[in-house]
Amino acid sequence: MSEVIAWFSDPSNWQGSTGVPVRLWEHVWISAVSVAVATVIALPVGLYTGHTGRFAGVAINLANIGRAIPSYAVLVMVLPISLSLAPVLGYSPNLGLSFIPTFTAMVLLAIPPILVNAHAGLQAVDRDLIEAARAMGLKEREILGQVELPIAMTVIVGGFRTAVLNVIATATIGAIVSFGGLGRFIIDGRLRGVAGIPELISGAILVTVLAVTVDLLLGGLQRRITPDGVKIAEGQSFELPKPALSPAS
Amino acid sequence: MSFKRLVVAGSVFALLITACGGGAAGTDDPTVRIGSDNFYESRLMAEIYALVLEDAGYTVERSFGLGSRQERAPAFEDGQIDLVPEYVGSGLGYYDATQITGDGETNRERLATVLADKGITVFGITPGEDTNAAVVRQATADELGLSSMSDLAAVQADLRWGLPPDCDENPLCKGALEQYGITYPPAERESLAACDVPIAEALNGDAIDFAWLCSTQPAIVQYGFVVLEDDLDTQPAENIAPLVRNDFLEQLSDADAFQALLDGASAGMTTEELTRLGVEVSVNQREVDEVAREWLEAQGLLGD
Repeated sequence: MSEVIAWFSDPSNWQGSTGVPVRLWEHVWISAVSVAVATVIALPVGLYTGHTGRFAGVAINLANIGRAIPSYAVLVMVLPISLSLAPVLGYSPNLGLSFIPTFTAMVLLAIPPILVNAHAGLQAVDRDLIEAARAMGLKEREILGQVELPIAMTVIVGGFRTAVLNVIATATIGAIVSFGGLGRFIIDGRLRGVAGIPELISGAILVTVLAVTVDLLLGGLQRRITPDGVKIAEGQSFELPKPALSPAS
Repeated sequence: MSFKRLVVAGSVFALLITACGGGAAGTDDPTVRIGSDNFYESRLMAEIYALVLEDAGYTVERSFGLGSRQERAPAFEDGQIDLVPEYVGSGLGYYDATQITGDGETNRERLATVLADKGITVFGITPGEDTNAAVVRQATADELGLSSMSDLAAVQADLRWGLPPDCDENPLCKGALEQYGITYPPAERESLAACDVPIAEALNGDAIDFAWLCSTQPAIVQYGFVVLEDDLDTQPAENIAPLVRNDFLEQLSDADAFQALLDGASAGMTTEELTRLGVEVSVNQREVDEVAREWLEAQGLLGD
C-alpha cells in the first residue's frame, strides 16, 4: 500500500504525455466518443421499437450479441480488419492499430444497455395513458415526446449510466493495442512484473475513481431531468403520483 | 540430431524401461499438478513434461493456461501447482531484470538462487530457446537493406517502432537499442507488448516497421517477417526449464529419477524443433497433446 501511495506522490507520474492528466483525458475522450456514437445508434432504435412494439425482438437480440462478445475478443478480431482496410480506405494505419479497434469494442459494449433500456422504458409506460393521449388528439410524435419520454426518462438515462460505467471500466483494454488511457498504467504495470504492481494498482484505483465520479454526476443529472411528476421519492414505490392525473386538478 | 542427444534419449529410454518394470513412480507418489502459461509454447512444453511423467507411471493433473507469468508465478509460489515450464531469462527478469545475461546456464543458476528462498528448484534447461527477436517486414528489409540490428541505426528516423511499454527501464530493450546506436526514444513509437498478437498484426498491417517478437513465434513464419541478427549479442538466453516445488519433490519416492525424466525431455528440445512445433500448433491448428506426443515418440522418449 505504501508503494501505491509513493506512486501517486511521484511527480513524474503526473507529467508529460504518459502522466495521469494526459491518460485521464484520453480515457474520458474515448469513453465519451464511444458512448455518444452508441447513443446515436441505439437510442432511435430503442425508441422506435419501444413506441411501436415492432422489430423489438430483432433489435434487442442484435444488441445483445454486442453484450455476448467479450470486448477483448472484439478488439482482437477488429485489429487485422482495421489494419488491412487502412490502405484501401486511405486512413492512417495508426488509426487502424489503436483507435478503431478500441472504439469499435466500446461502441458495441455501450449499445445494448442504451437500446434495451430505451425500449423497456417506453414499453413500461401505462397503455391507458397512451390511449388517453391518443384520444385527446395527440400525434404519435407528440405522444412519444410529451407522454412516453418524460415517464421513461429515468429508465433511459439509467441505461445510459450503465453504458458509461461499462465503457469507462472496459476502455482500459485499449492499452493492449497501444491506445492511451488509464489502461496504460494497468497493462504496463502488469508487464513490469513485481516492480510494476504499484503502478497496476494505482491504475485500477484511477479507473475506479473516474467511473464512480462520472456515475455520481450522471445520477445527479438523472434526478434533475426526471419530471417532478415522475420522480420517485425515496421509500416510495414506482407509481405515478395520483394528483398529477386526477381529473379534479 | 547430435550424438549427445542420442545418448540422452537412450539413457531416458533405458530409464523408462526400468520404469515399466518397477516404476520411476512409486505407488505412494503424489499426483503431479502441472501448470502452464496461457500461450501455445508454454502449453506445449507442459504437455511434453506431462506425457513423459505419465508414461513413467505418475499421475498428472493438468492446469494449463494460467494466464501469464504475472498471474501464474504467485499461484505457483502459493503451492497451487507443483511444476511449470519457465523461460530462464524472462523468469529471472520477473524477479530482477538487472541479473539477466546472454548465457542460458548462468540465467538458470541465477534464477535457481532467486527461487531457492521460495522453496522452488530449477531443473535442467532445453538447448533450444525462444528469445527476443527484432523483426521487420520483408519489404522493409529489402528496401532499406536490413539484415542485422547494426543496420538499424542509419535508418532509424525512417522507421515506426513497435516497442514494449516497459522498454524505457528494460536494459534488454532500451539498453540494447542504444548499444546499436539508436537514439532512444525513437520519434515514432507505438507501445505494444512484445511477442503478442497485436504487435505482429501491427507489423503485418504496416502500422509499425519494427517489432519485438519471440524468435519461435509462428507469426514470423506465417507472415514471412525477417529476423534481424542480434550481432552484438544483446538479448538474454531464454532456454526453457521446469520449475518444481521442493515440498512436492520431498514427497517423491525417487526425486532423482523424476528429474532425470524431465531433463531427458528438455535435452531434446532445440530451437528448430521449438519453432517447428509452434507452427504445427499455432498455424496448422493441431492439438497440443497430439503434437507433443508425436515429438516425444520421434525422440524415442515414450516407452511402447
